[in-house]
Amino acid sequence: MSAGATLLECEAVGAELGPASRPVRVLREVSLTLGAQRSLGIVGESGAGKSMLIRAIMGLTPAGMRLSGRIRLGGTDLGNLREAERRTLLGRKVGMVFQNPMTSLNPFRQIGAQMEEASRFHLRLPPAEARALAIRLLGLVGLPDPEEAHGRHPHQFSGGMKQRIMIAAALSCQPELLIADEATTALDVTVQKEVLDLLARLQQQRRMSMILVTHNLGVVAGRTDEVLVLYGGRVVEHGPTAQVFRQPRHRYTEALLAAMPRIDQPSHQALRSIPGQPPGPAEPVPGCPFAPRCPAVEARCHASMPPARVSADGRHRFACHVPVPVAAEAWA
Amino acid sequence: MPKAMRPAGAALLRAVGMRLLGGIPVFLLVTFAATALADLMPGSAAQAILGDTATPEQIAALNARYGYDLPVWERYGHWLWRLLHGDLGETLFSRQPVAGLLLDRALVTFQIAFLAMGLSLLVSLPLAMLAASRPGGALDNALRAVTSLMLSVPTFVIVVMLGFLFAIVLRWLPATGWVAFTEDPLGNLESAILPVLCLSAHQAATFYRVGRSEILAVLQEDYIQVARAKGLPLRHILLRHALRPALPQLLAVMGLSMTYLLGGSFIVESYFAVPGIGWTVLAAVSSHDLPVMQAILALTVAIFVVVFILVDLGYALIDPRIEVA
Amino acid sequence: MRPPHTPSGTEAGPAPLGAALPWTARLRLPRGGLSEWLSGGFLLALVLGAVFVEAIPGLAGPEFPWGDFSQPPEWSLNGLLGTDPLGRSILSRVLHGARTTLTITLLATAIALGAGLLLGMLAGFYRGMVERAVDLYANAVAALPPILVILALVAVVGNSVLTMTLALGLLDIGTYARVAKGGAIAQGERDYILAARAMGASDGRLLLREILPNLLPSLTALVPPLMAGLIVTEGSLSFLGYGIPPPAPSWGGMVASSTDLLDRFPLLVVGPILAIVLTVYALNTVGDALARRLGGRDRAA
Repeated sequence: MSAGATLLECEAVGAELGPASRPVRVLREVSLTLGAQRSLGIVGESGAGKSMLIRAIMGLTPAGMRLSGRIRLGGTDLGNLREAERRTLLGRKVGMVFQNPMTSLNPFRQIGAQMEEASRFHLRLPPAEARALAIRLLGLVGLPDPEEAHGRHPHQFSGGMKQRIMIAAALSCQPELLIADEATTALDVTVQKEVLDLLARLQQQRRMSMILVTHNLGVVAGRTDEVLVLYGGRVVEHGPTAQVFRQPRHRYTEALLAAMPRIDQPSHQALRSIPGQPPGPAEPVPGCPFAPRCPAVEARCHASMPPARVSADGRHRFACHVPVPVAAEAWA
Repeated sequence: MPKAMRPAGAALLRAVGMRLLGGIPVFLLVTFAATALADLMPGSAAQAILGDTATPEQIAALNARYGYDLPVWERYGHWLWRLLHGDLGETLFSRQPVAGLLLDRALVTFQIAFLAMGLSLLVSLPLAMLAASRPGGALDNALRAVTSLMLSVPTFVIVVMLGFLFAIVLRWLPATGWVAFTEDPLGNLESAILPVLCLSAHQAATFYRVGRSEILAVLQEDYIQVARAKGLPLRHILLRHALRPALPQLLAVMGLSMTYLLGGSFIVESYFAVPGIGWTVLAAVSSHDLPVMQAILALTVAIFVVVFILVDLGYALIDPRIEVA
Repeated sequence: MRPPHTPSGTEAGPAPLGAALPWTARLRLPRGGLSEWLSGGFLLALVLGAVFVEAIPGLAGPEFPWGDFSQPPEWSLNGLLGTDPLGRSILSRVLHGARTTLTITLLATAIALGAGLLLGMLAGFYRGMVERAVDLYANAVAALPPILVILALVAVVGNSVLTMTLALGLLDIGTYARVAKGGAIAQGERDYILAARAMGASDGRLLLREILPNLLPSLTALVPPLMAGLIVTEGSLSFLGYGIPPPAPSWGGMVASSTDLLDRFPLLVVGPILAIVLTVYALNTVGDALARRLGGRDRAA
């Protein structure tokens, strides 16, 4: 897909569980747009709904989960497709890397076979070609001796290497979108950097869009074009990464950024954590979900959900009654 | 098997050898107990066997021939010695070599055992996969009730009911009578149908339960989610990803079931007059044919040991993480 | 060797009867489902019937030629399950058979449970040679089909009620012992055992006061399914003619003697078949319920 076109659109996506009279809302009114060849970081604490959002996009939500809103991939409304069509479309256009490399591969099968399944099924590649492709991809992600690796089993690889294998597998159908759901969380810090660098390189080379889901702001800093902050199942802030980092508007984003230890700060400074706990999905809150923990909270924050406000250039939006103050001219 | 994982021939042999050695104590215990059986008989063994009409000379002759007048250790030693030379003794009354007799009978039992195993797997595994992919659904609930009922019905009842249904009501199959394969292959298969059906009833129910339970557990694994995320269809996921991890536990149950089948199903063979090991045992019991009983007990233990070695090897074959040696 | 133990019916549990159809799956009651109560009730009725069979007013004796030959079931006490080829009341014979079968299997279970518990506890507590010996015995018994073991014994000592009882008891010792051993090993490593030892408790006291009570739940849960297995084994042997010696009525024997007449009198087998199938199903259901309740429940020290 050419740069500038919209690849993924989520319109007011909601997800709820449980009886219709007393639903548990895991996601509320989540909207986002991702352009071709752009990268997006989705950030939030555990339970904020990040993984559920990805599952909603991929059609992998658990049984009993009711979805609302619209999701469009490459212009096609996923909700309109039949199960098999949606599966095929997503399988071809989206590659996904999961959090835990130790359990993401079937220990009973060779990794080569696991890598080739998607390309043989979706692209109908004959065995020899699929094998050649798999070996090439294994080399691309930095596995030494890819030909030999192809015939091995998962337990023979380290965690970092397994994650690379997963990435290679995700690329086999030449996807337009690569989703990494906490893909580096389970890895050592040094390996994390390598894997993230690899992802960035691959995104560039193959002109894909990328979504990095993480609870760690450090992962998105300097690596993604845009960042979307989720809290309590809602989008609280969304904008170009550099701008959001430089000028966070939502109090939660500000607190998150402040909590990050920084190498240029004097050492021995107390880390600023955010007091309290994030809300569980079962606790419906009429107002802003962050109100109970917000340092700048006012009465109206508990009463009503803050309206979304957008910057003048339309690229930075947030929803806060009492945002971090900035110079007025950039904002509507 | 991938080249990287094929165990070296020598290591494999050693692994099998070690396990065979491990089976020896059980083998010795059972065969010793079998030999000691004769001493449980009231009076002297020969007397009990031959009955009241026997003359003292006949009794003495029998005792001498089988060593019933010897202490049990000596008798056992003789028996073991002969075993090592491939001699399992002779039947009590017709004086046929037991080894040859058992071989013939074993072939019949093995035939229906393997047929039953095949049928059970063919029926149970696909159903298990279907049920596991929709737990709590109509099929799952229905099969749970059906298998529960089937497992509560003893084999001898199944035998009577199926015999009634097919031989009496429908008249599709002969009630009894076994045709050897060499005589008439088609007749052979026909006479095997009822025994095989009866044998596989319980087997299929057990395999279904274990299979469903294991596959259900596998479907919760992360790598299944990954496969779904790749957009692969359910059939592919079930067959290629879910089945293999479910096999080890299934293999264990198959092994246990196989040992019972290969040891001869007494009920089925007796009711349908199938000349297999089970039928032979029953004949031996009524004529107090101790040598035959001994030999069959030894054979049964040996089968058990061998089957479980195969199961162990099977584990190693299926699960690449397991080392054979 | 890794022979697994999968007693019939405990894999996923026999479903409450209501679960045969999907919409009735929701009828499953949370505590003590309908089928569990029914099963318990049936077993109780069976036991009472077996114990007090002679006191039931109007019930003919098992040998008494009460009615016409081979009659189908009718709505009267003696004719409820029909009559056999000698005119005897099948209901009466089923109840008398129940008495024999239940007595044998209960005694055998008591023997097996008692001996198995003792051996298993000792094996798990002392380990070493005791453990190896118990394992060897358990494996040896597990290697042989139960019917074969009893047939071998019957071949030498003939079949009698005593033989059956002892032989059946012998069969299950290994299973109880193995479970008791596992439990004892797990217990032995717990803190309160170490504490009790430190306070000078003797081995016997430890075994009796601390370990034994914690083994009881898991062993008790085993009793119904294993007993069902013994009933099936006994029934099978009686069917073959090597179980309960005739003329005493036995369920298996009744089925066997009816098979020749199946083409003309198919209803003859209904009585004993119902008796055995319902009993086994009920035991398995109750066993599963017990296993669910007792599973994981450990008596705190």
